[in-house]
Amino acid sequence: MTTKLFGEPVRRREDARLITGKGRYLDDIGANALAAAFVRSPHAHARITGIDAEAALDVEGLVAIYTYEDLTGPMAEPLPVLIPHPQLHAPRTGYPLANGVVHHVGEPVVMVVATDRYVAEDAAERIVVTYEELPVVVGVDAAREARAAVHDDVPDNVAARHHQETGDVEAALAAAPHTLSFTQYIERSACMPLEGKGVHARWDADDASLRVYSSTQASTSVRAAIAAKLELSLDRVEVIAPDVGGGFGVKIVHPWPEELLVPMAAIRLGREVKWAEDRREHFIGSAHERQQRQEITVGYDDDGRVTALDVHVWHDNGAYTPYGIIVPIVTATQLVGPYALPVYRVVVESVYTNTVIVTPYRGAGRPQGCYAMERTMDRIADALGLDRAEVRRRNLITPDQFPYDHRLTFQDGRPVIYDSGDYPGLLDKLVALVGWDEAEALRADARARGKLLGVGMALYVEGTGPGPYEGGHVQVLGSGKVLVSTGLTSQGQGHETVFAQIVASELGVPIDDVEVHTGDTRRFAYAVGTFASRAAVMSGNAVALAARGVREKAIRIAAEVLEANPEDLEIDEGLVQVKGTPGASIPLRTVAVLSNPLRYAFDEAAKQATQFARAGSDDKPPVAPGDAPGLEHRDYYSPIRSTFASGAHAAVVEIDPQTWEIDVVRYAVVHDCGNVVNPMIVEGQVHGGVAQGVGGALYERMAYDGDGQLQNASFMDFLMPYASEVPDIVIDHQETPSPLNPLGIKGAGEAGVIPGTAAIASAIEDATGRRITSMPISPTELYDLMRDETAERTAASERTGAPA
Amino acid sequence: MNLDGSAVLHGTPEEVWTVITDPAVLARTIPGCESLERTGEDAYRMDVAVGVGAIRGTYAGEVRLSDQQRPSSYVMHASGAGAPGNVRARVTIELQPTDEGTTLTYSADAVVGGPVAGVGQRMISGVAKRMAGQFFTAIDRELTSGAPVETAPAAARASSTAVSSTGSPQAVPAGTPDESAPQVFSGTRAPAASASSPSSDVRTLAVGALGGAGLTLLGVLVGWLLGRRR
Repeated sequence: MTTKLFGEPVRRREDARLITGKGRYLDDIGANALAAAFVRSPHAHARITGIDAEAALDVEGLVAIYTYEDLTGPMAEPLPVLIPHPQLHAPRTGYPLANGVVHHVGEPVVMVVATDRYVAEDAAERIVVTYEELPVVVGVDAAREARAAVHDDVPDNVAARHHQETGDVEAALAAAPHTLSFTQYIERSACMPLEGKGVHARWDADDASLRVYSSTQASTSVRAAIAAKLELSLDRVEVIAPDVGGGFGVKIVHPWPEELLVPMAAIRLGREVKWAEDRREHFIGSAHERQQRQEITVGYDDDGRVTALDVHVWHDNGAYTPYGIIVPIVTATQLVGPYALPVYRVVVESVYTNTVIVTPYRGAGRPQGCYAMERTMDRIADALGLDRAEVRRRNLITPDQFPYDHRLTFQDGRPVIYDSGDYPGLLDKLVALVGWDEAEALRADARARGKLLGVGMALYVEGTGPGPYEGGHVQVLGSGKVLVSTGLTSQGQGHETVFAQIVASELGVPIDDVEVHTGDTRRFAYAVGTFASRAAVMSGNAVALAARGVREKAIRIAAEVLEANPEDLEIDEGLVQVKGTPGASIPLRTVAVLSNPLRYAFDEAAKQATQFARAGSDDKPPVAPGDAPGLEHRDYYSPIRSTFASGAHAAVVEIDPQTWEIDVVRYAVVHDCGNVVNPMIVEGQVHGGVAQGVGGALYERMAYDGDGQLQNASFMDFLMPYASEVPDIVIDHQETPSPLNPLGIKGAGEAGVIPGTAAIASAIEDATGRRITSMPISPTELYDLMRDETAERTAASERTGAPA
Repeated sequence: MNLDGSAVLHGTPEEVWTVITDPAVLARTIPGCESLERTGEDAYRMDVAVGVGAIRGTYAGEVRLSDQQRPSSYVMHASGAGAPGNVRARVTIELQPTDEGTTLTYSADAVVGGPVAGVGQRMISGVAKRMAGQFFTAIDRELTSGAPVETAPAAARASSTAVSSTGSPQAVPAGTPDESAPQVFSGTRAPAASASSPSSDVRTLAVGALGGAGLTLLGVLVGWLLGRRR
């Protein structure tokens, strides 16, 4: 039988380790390291007038105190703008430690190093920093009004004005049979990984080398950043991402101040130094996402077909723009979803506020884009008295239109050309899966139980697997063990399992022989990172190509030994054999031994490769020109452009008209990520995404007050859905392979979170007959909305018998 | 780093000068001074024990006075090297008569090298500032308490703002310097890190560019090095 693992629901190999406490997370490293703690700004915008460390000196165990004055060379310069863009006309970044002015609560001002974290915190507590408070800007609207400036030299608070259009939208709107305009808002949330950020650094003075462990999504680039900022040669620095307890985007940002300061301290002190972020630090010192004001005007015909779409988004990017305008670009380009829009114009103004920076959080601008597009579809359906599913169906790109060119430029600088998909297929499956056509029966049943019921749906298309590249290395050892390495990191998604499945399938070996290593620059120095649902697409294809290279070499060597024609050989269960000729075979591990001609027989297996054991030709060198010892291969996958996954979600909500508690009672997902490597892992990703989608729609928000103080910076106050709030999820798969990569796969990591807010807003609107224009929405807000006489009613409210 | 500051001392410039250039007085007023040995005209070597936070240990340094304009100014050259930490400071000291007594201003150009520089400027300056505070407190007590300094006015009263320095100064017979053999003046050990902070009881600013603090800065270095080996 052949080794068939691709597509199988193989159980996650990492789980036994992770769920039995054998994981090795950042804080499990360096038990004897000195600990760092930070004095962070308590003000959202202020000028530092003094720092008095005197009182900290009495703290037993204090080792060092650093402020901006201690930073030298590149460390004294602003942090890098990681992804520059011509339309990011006023990029601003902070310093590793505040230089004169702080722009958000939580910005690091003083670094304290001590014998342990308790001592470091005690010392930090005694350091007195005095400030002169400056005017504070909180929220997109305040930033827009620009009564105050976050950065003196950016008076209008606009960091970037991103603009794309595919035709004359003004003319198209003027010619449209109908138009409608509306403004809506979406609030901030955040990744909230179980494990916060963390950094451990060890300087070897004798070797003049630095080893850094960081809970990051991009170890190779963190390495490059550390080398550049600390003026070290790249070869003197190694960065390793150990087990990472979740990332969801926040850990793709780098270098975080702590990722530079901890190594700096380790070098200056000649001691191991470690910092593990605490939860409050994560709330106020990491990154958030999502807040936007969306002004939408759409033109459409009598059938509900969109003839023109004009969108103006105000995007809150927080105090700095280290990650460029990736999120605004993703919103602008992914907003179009699965629909054919004759004319589209989008302008995203990315504005500064005195709040934590905004960088990609799972979905990375897509949930906002989906919210804009899907709520537009709902409005059109409502205005025309049409079924929401039908209006969507009429606007879908049809299967015969692929590849479909939106004439837009994506976040990777490549054109937005959908490679493949079947959107009507998604919609049909969804309607059947959620029982869309039985909605009125469900509504009647709920009404009988004194509940208001509503259904909503949202479709999305997600650009996944952007380049520039990822690489893979596969090596077969004499023991038969197969080592697989890729530089891309894992945050628990199941890379060890999926990459092992791919290599085992490609190479024809038992999966138990395969060992996968990720995110370690010592093993693989070239990589981009884990983001944009790219791991399976990029590293998956890279390790597949590397495995194919190993397979080719193994068959070449085996063919010589077996004196057979390479075409007649196959590898199965770790055995290279002549097809249909039992016995005529050689174990892959033996091929590995023979691949490395030896002089010395250090063990039994090695004997076979020594010079008197092998009958080699006298007129050929043991290692032929162009060949290399060892059974290994390194290869890279670099895509022409992103591959576009898609999906459709539907939510059924029940609302209690007494408490206005919103309960998602049914949630259906139809998911298309091309060929599925491991359905169990894909479904797990979808489940997690839906949970975050529900959180973003009903619970999570960053409660900043007017002074820029985050009032719910703890898990006591920041509401996340428990299992009890996450609905049972029914999933149906559709597989339209990508023609762009060898494995025909598309990304699946972020998908689950994208349509949640749009679908649930639609369902609540359907249940209440009130226009939902701001998400998330709490029972209290819904209660107020229901009591507000001026609140807009939907046209459908009569038909659905929503409360007057 | 440049370190400047001033202190108000309760005595005339002449009295202050006498006290502040008297090796016996220095030996018992420089915080943590274990011994001070006269090695020549206006030149001394000394052992200082320092302990603040992780900065602790003993250190040997050298001091030389020059450009003396009694009683208005002089320059102190403090230096010391203990692998891998070292410091060199050139300190200009000026004495100005005031209603309260004397305003002593100092300006130092200190070079701190070696790994100890890695603990951060505020750590070093904070520790040295504290040492300077202790030094000035002790000097002011010498001036106001009368006892060991003949030139001190018997009627002089201790500054109301002064608090007693940690560690009690042991009386030392300050006999006439014998040029033939080097004289050794023993001092008072510095308090341990856990000791309470005196410092701001006299108006001192910035780090001890002044002799005492300049020297304790040397102590700070090796002290820190010992500290990190613990």
